[in-house]
Amino acid sequence: MEKAAILFHLGPLAISSIVVTTWGIMAFLGLFSWLATRHLSTDPGPLQAMLEGSISAIEAAIKAVLPQGGEKVLPFIATLWFYIVTANLVGLIPGLGSPTAHLSVTTGLALLVFLSVHWFGIRNEGLIAYLRHYLSPSPILLPFHIISELTRTVALAVRLFGNMMSLEMAALLLLLVAGLLVPIPLLMLHIIEALVQAYIFGMLALIYVAGAMQSRTEINHEKERSET
Amino acid sequence: MDLDWTTFILEIVNFLVLVWILKRFLYRPVLEVIARRRTQIEEALSEARDTRQQADTLKEQFEGRLAGWETEREAAHAKLLEEVAIERQHLMAAVAKAMDEEKAKRKAIVERQQQDWLRTAAEQGVAQGQAFASRLLERLAGPELEAGLFGLLLQDLAQLPEQQRKDLAAAAGREARLDVLSAYPLAAEQRNELTAALQAVLGRELPAGFGEQPDLVAGFLITVGPWVMHANLRDELRFFGE
Repeated sequence: MEKAAILFHLGPLAISSIVVTTWGIMAFLGLFSWLATRHLSTDPGPLQAMLEGSISAIEAAIKAVLPQGGEKVLPFIATLWFYIVTANLVGLIPGLGSPTAHLSVTTGLALLVFLSVHWFGIRNEGLIAYLRHYLSPSPILLPFHIISELTRTVALAVRLFGNMMSLEMAALLLLLVAGLLVPIPLLMLHIIEALVQAYIFGMLALIYVAGAMQSRTEINHEKERSET
Repeated sequence: MDLDWTTFILEIVNFLVLVWILKRFLYRPVLEVIARRRTQIEEALSEARDTRQQADTLKEQFEGRLAGWETEREAAHAKLLEEVAIERQHLMAAVAKAMDEEKAKRKAIVERQQQDWLRTAAEQGVAQGQAFASRLLERLAGPELEAGLFGLLLQDLAQLPEQQRKDLAAAAGREARLDVLSAYPLAAEQRNELTAALQAVLGRELPAGFGEQPDLVAGFLITVGPWVMHANLRDELRFFGE
């Protein structure tokens, strides 16, 4: 995967095409949200029904994993899903590339997930109680907990990056080798893969956050298991 | 595989900004409208529950009222039957009384008819007896019977009670006269004897006159002032018939 092109400089910051694409996605999502939610009513039209259905489905998925306090993480998790789906699908538009096919983007998202896990965990459980779960069930496992935190974050970043990058590269190779229309089935697979990868990334982020927010409950369960 | 730190940092910032934008313009409005609709649904459900409860209460009230009406109807029916029975008894009593009265009336009518028949029969018997006696006495009338009746007249005058004698004397008055009618002519001796008997009854002498009246059949008709003595067969038979 070639390096993203630098389109312009904003002071000392070199603005790449990835960042511009992300701004475009932000503008699209923000404008769409503003336009779609201007005239909401209790008697919804088709667009409002679609929006309510999507957000209700996300809310139900979060509640299934995190029965209490799900409303706190809904904006973060739902934005992950919406952004990653849009970013994945943007690559289908000729001339544009998926931001998620770049390691800088997926690493940034994975770092946000990593930080949000601790943020929500400390907010929900308190600092001491949250940090104590790293010593559970035994302090010997502390290094393994830390390694687990780091590796799963790296895995998040690399999984999304690798899948999206490989799909784009495979489509490019097919286009070069076989001709103009041959990559179309692969593009269909791209759509499915875009949805699946967004779901996996958001779901894993939700599970990590939920695990941090329910760390005290997990400790209690482990104690009960050890006693029995 | 290069990691562009500028892109990395900007992506983090961009994503956080996107979280704020979507939270502000998408999640909050949509969740609010969902919550509002849930509230409305809850209110509608609550109203429906209240309405159902009210309907159940009304249903219970109406069932109770229907049961009350049924009890009332049964009581009214029983009362009606009782009143009908009482009225029937009254009517039967009235009918029985009317029948008794009718029977009594019939009985009285029959008795009166029987009495009328008996009276008619008695009158007929008396009339027949009178006719028979009249025919018989008319055949038997004669100087001998006249003489017998004259004897009876003298005997009756002699046996007249004292009080009746005083009443006759008072009724005769001072200017009265003595008139004697007979069916057959009286002999002078008989006239004197009769005059003496009458003067003995009245206690004084009166001028006497004698005459004949054959329709007396036999006997005498004596008049003293307002007093008349019927001692003849004609008047006796008439008195018998009356």
